[in-house]
Amino acid sequence: MNILEIIPSRERCAEAGWHAYDFILEHPMDDDFIKSMRPLGSFLYMQMLKKPFFKIESEHYLLKGIRGDEFFRMAVHGDYLDEIKHVENMILNG
Amino acid sequence: MMYLNNAATTYPKPQCVTDAHTAALSAPPAGQFRSSGQGRVKDVFTGCRENLGRLLGIGSPERIYFTSGATDSLNQLFHGMERKGKKILVTQTEHNSVLRPLYNGMAAGAEVEILSCDKYGQVSPEVFEERISPETGLLVLNHCSNVTGMIQDAARFGEIAEKHGILFMLDASQSAGCIPVDCDGWHVDALVFTGHKGLFGPQGTGGFFLRKGVGMRPYRYGGTGRDSSRLVYGDGDYEYETGTQNGHGIQALGAGVEYILDRGVERIAEAEKRLMGILYDGLSEIQGVTVYGEKGRNLGPVLSMNLKGLRPSELAYILQNGYETVVRAGFHCAPLIHQAMGTEEQGTVRVSISALTEEQEVLQFLEILREIAAAAEN
Repeated sequence: MNILEIIPSRERCAEAGWHAYDFILEHPMDDDFIKSMRPLGSFLYMQMLKKPFFKIESEHYLLKGIRGDEFFRMAVHGDYLDEIKHVENMILNG
Repeated sequence: MMYLNNAATTYPKPQCVTDAHTAALSAPPAGQFRSSGQGRVKDVFTGCRENLGRLLGIGSPERIYFTSGATDSLNQLFHGMERKGKKILVTQTEHNSVLRPLYNGMAAGAEVEILSCDKYGQVSPEVFEERISPETGLLVLNHCSNVTGMIQDAARFGEIAEKHGILFMLDASQSAGCIPVDCDGWHVDALVFTGHKGLFGPQGTGGFFLRKGVGMRPYRYGGTGRDSSRLVYGDGDYEYETGTQNGHGIQALGAGVEYILDRGVERIAEAEKRLMGILYDGLSEIQGVTVYGEKGRNLGPVLSMNLKGLRPSELAYILQNGYETVVRAGFHCAPLIHQAMGTEEQGTVRVSISALTEEQEVLQFLEILREIAAAAEN
């Protein structure tokens, strides 16, 4: 999946003390793409929902998104901003 | 889109507010004290002040001063308002608009002490009385918590403050327009309000009331449209509305206040209480939901909750992006109350209604939450 842009999220207050970024993607996220991110951390996928929600949690970051959206959000602790690059590489390289 | 974030800013506004704002922007601007006047026609500032006085129980509405909102009001008051002692008592439920000015030196020389609340957000007037010392000069009380919807017994706090000769500042940001306020009857010396919440005004409006006889040094000086040849103010002879005022916003705020007066704040409070009751009952039946308040105890139009298995920000994300439902997640700019609630790590999801929220929306929200809770459980 191609990443078009990584932008600071508007949801700053909600991620108390953390930094939040939106990964803007080239295509809507489907099941295969969401499941391909599983190695990034502990994985929760609420497929029962009308619009299925996923979250992936690691020690220093958290990813969350909704199937069909063209973006997902990454919350990362301020001391570990280099994790953004790690997630970016993982997505670009599959 | 379903909007349940009215404790932040009310939406939608009554049509009369939109009309008044549009009319104000389409007409020659109203300049307070600066034009030739319109004979017996009341200017928008005076009209709005008088209606605010009626709504908030203020018999001297000329002592209501417009600002850009509650934060502006609080900074001005903390900066210059006289205190009868160096100690300021504030409650654990306060918003950062109170806490941050105080913790960052806006009230020079003051010592700040926190009055604890219980897990529902209630602060005991008796505990307040016990904590009074000869150094206590001011009590700041958040009338309605923007986190739990707890309404404090302002009348009792005012009585105690009056008895001990302590100045009483009431933050009515979350209560004005939602529940009855009786500023004079409760012996309030300074009352703070914002325009964009329950009063249905636009963002950037608000103000404060300062009782006659309570001194205050201004936070800023400038043109007021009155007595322009005077450059130096005598001690105590100050003006607090400097620079061109937000006339367009005040005209719209005035329409919001009129809407509330026409509908009746008691009736609004009853209607909101009924909807909140439906919300409390419905939430209590959903597996995995924790509500930080009780029906019949937390009576304001706002509640806090969490859902097992999801962080507040995750639940808010699902609601926003999956169901186009707007709530708020986090600490809601009131960090200390979360220590009493046990939510200091991640905060809560806040759901808040207004006088224009419909029962159908509350029922729909409960339906959505049932669906999310069921998915979270699996």
